[in-house]
Amino acid sequence: MISVAHLTKRYGRFAAVDDVSFEVERGEVVGFLGPNGAGKTTTMRILSGYLSATAGEVKVAGYDVLTQSLEVRRRIGYLPESVPLYPEMRVDEYLRFRARIKQLPSRRLRSMLGEVKERCGLQQMGREVIGHLSRGYRQRVGLADVLVHDPELLILDEPTLGLDPNQNRQIRELIKQLASRHTILLCTHILPEAELTCKRLLIINKGHIVASDTPENLKSTLGGGNRIRIEVKGPLDEVRKAMTVLPHVHRADLCEDGSWIHGLIETAREVDLRPNIFELIVRRGWVLRDLSLENRSLEDVYIGLTQAPIAREGD
Amino acid sequence: MRVFLTLMRREWMSFFLSPVAYVIFVLFLVLMGLSFSMLISLLAEGSQSGSVMRQLLGESLFFWLAMLMAIPTITMRQFAEEKHNGTIESLMTAPLTDLQVVLAKFCGGLGFFAVLWLPTMAYAILLAQVSPAGAPLDYTSMISSYIGILLIGAFYLSVGLLASSLTRNQAVAAVITFVVLCSLFFWGFVPYYARGASWQEIGRYTSSVVHMMEFSRGVLDTRPVVFYISGTAWFLFITTKVLESRKWRA
Repeated sequence: MISVAHLTKRYGRFAAVDDVSFEVERGEVVGFLGPNGAGKTTTMRILSGYLSATAGEVKVAGYDVLTQSLEVRRRIGYLPESVPLYPEMRVDEYLRFRARIKQLPSRRLRSMLGEVKERCGLQQMGREVIGHLSRGYRQRVGLADVLVHDPELLILDEPTLGLDPNQNRQIRELIKQLASRHTILLCTHILPEAELTCKRLLIINKGHIVASDTPENLKSTLGGGNRIRIEVKGPLDEVRKAMTVLPHVHRADLCEDGSWIHGLIETAREVDLRPNIFELIVRRGWVLRDLSLENRSLEDVYIGLTQAPIAREGD
Repeated sequence: MRVFLTLMRREWMSFFLSPVAYVIFVLFLVLMGLSFSMLISLLAEGSQSGSVMRQLLGESLFFWLAMLMAIPTITMRQFAEEKHNGTIESLMTAPLTDLQVVLAKFCGGLGFFAVLWLPTMAYAILLAQVSPAGAPLDYTSMISSYIGILLIGAFYLSVGLLASSLTRNQAVAAVITFVVLCSLFFWGFVPYYARGASWQEIGRYTSSVVHMMEFSRGVLDTRPVVFYISGTAWFLFITTKVLESRKWRA
């Protein structure tokens, strides 16, 4: 659906996107992640034909975005980050206007309008003036606009930005429903959201693609070692020494809080040291309150990929 | 074509959905009303100089004041507001060509400008009603006056549209337009004051003041018609290029 080859976009000397290549298959839901200024929005703007690339080839549904821009734009529903709408128009009026300029045939206009309003929960809002709507509803109007011409590809730039947790969940559910009918490129900062909605993640940093895989694979290949959390009662120095000398332990952070010692032990990824730690504590006659394996989160992977040198919590 | 009409209609309607339009309307009609009342008092004194239209439009400072005030306020928001609100991004990622967008905005603005002038037709009707037999109203000069207004208006609107496409700040767009149009207006007096014959010649070809005088006399010369149409086309072309420049500008 999307094929990007050696895409580069320069603003003066600064390369916002530098030799980026990736593919998105039809029907895929791909999360596009990266820190602010990494080149996400620039890439999306090039895909949607708003900007043109300095170099490289970008194709959407087989059409070149530079030379066949109108064909591409007919097949894309692009929701910019700020969800720009005309505040003076009414919801129905706006959606009808957008459907017409996106060349939805008149005979499909009425049914399509009803359909997207229902999907976005706007049935009761048709007569409302957009400028008077809350942020959450404006977001829905934006999504309804994106869907109104039934595009093959949806490009959504931070669709849940600035929403409250309830609205957030509703929009996420909506995107999940859309996944069955559209190819989606979802740009977001919210990692749990990406993990929940996307089958594949593209991580971009400083204009380069630094990772492209499923969230699970990313976590297991790039997540580093295991992390074990312990809470134990015993003499701090002895516990620390005992933990550090265990095989496969990379490091042990321990601190005393009242009579309990809290600790995080990092080990090699392949081994689970919990039974060994348990045995050790029992043998020494210490008291154990907690012993658990911490899941490496996508956040760790993300931070590892986009931030160097890596700064870890608790350092 | 359907797309173009939809775009143009939205552009045109958006004036009526904003308070600015009504402010323009009121100020504009106050100025034109002043112009009309001056004409009435002149006629009441028994003045016979020139046609009614000429005094209402061609030689009236109020007419030019109204033009110089109305045009920048019409065009200032056209692109600047879209840029400021970010709607330019959703507009330009719809399957529309840059030229389509520029022309729709221009035609929408021109449509609103035309609506602005509609009430002034009442003056002519009013005059015809109250005048004794052999009324001084001359329909040819009325028609040519309105054609002239549309031509000059179109040209000035295209200047304003270009200014609006250059900035995201409406006030800046309005000021640029106002300054350029004022310069054009004062340039219009060159044929009256310039010494050299060539300056006078150039002045006559380009002076809106002279042209409006001619139009209001009922003279529809092809030279100003070509001048305004080509000038408008040129400014609209530049506006399209400015809009396009978003793609490659750093």
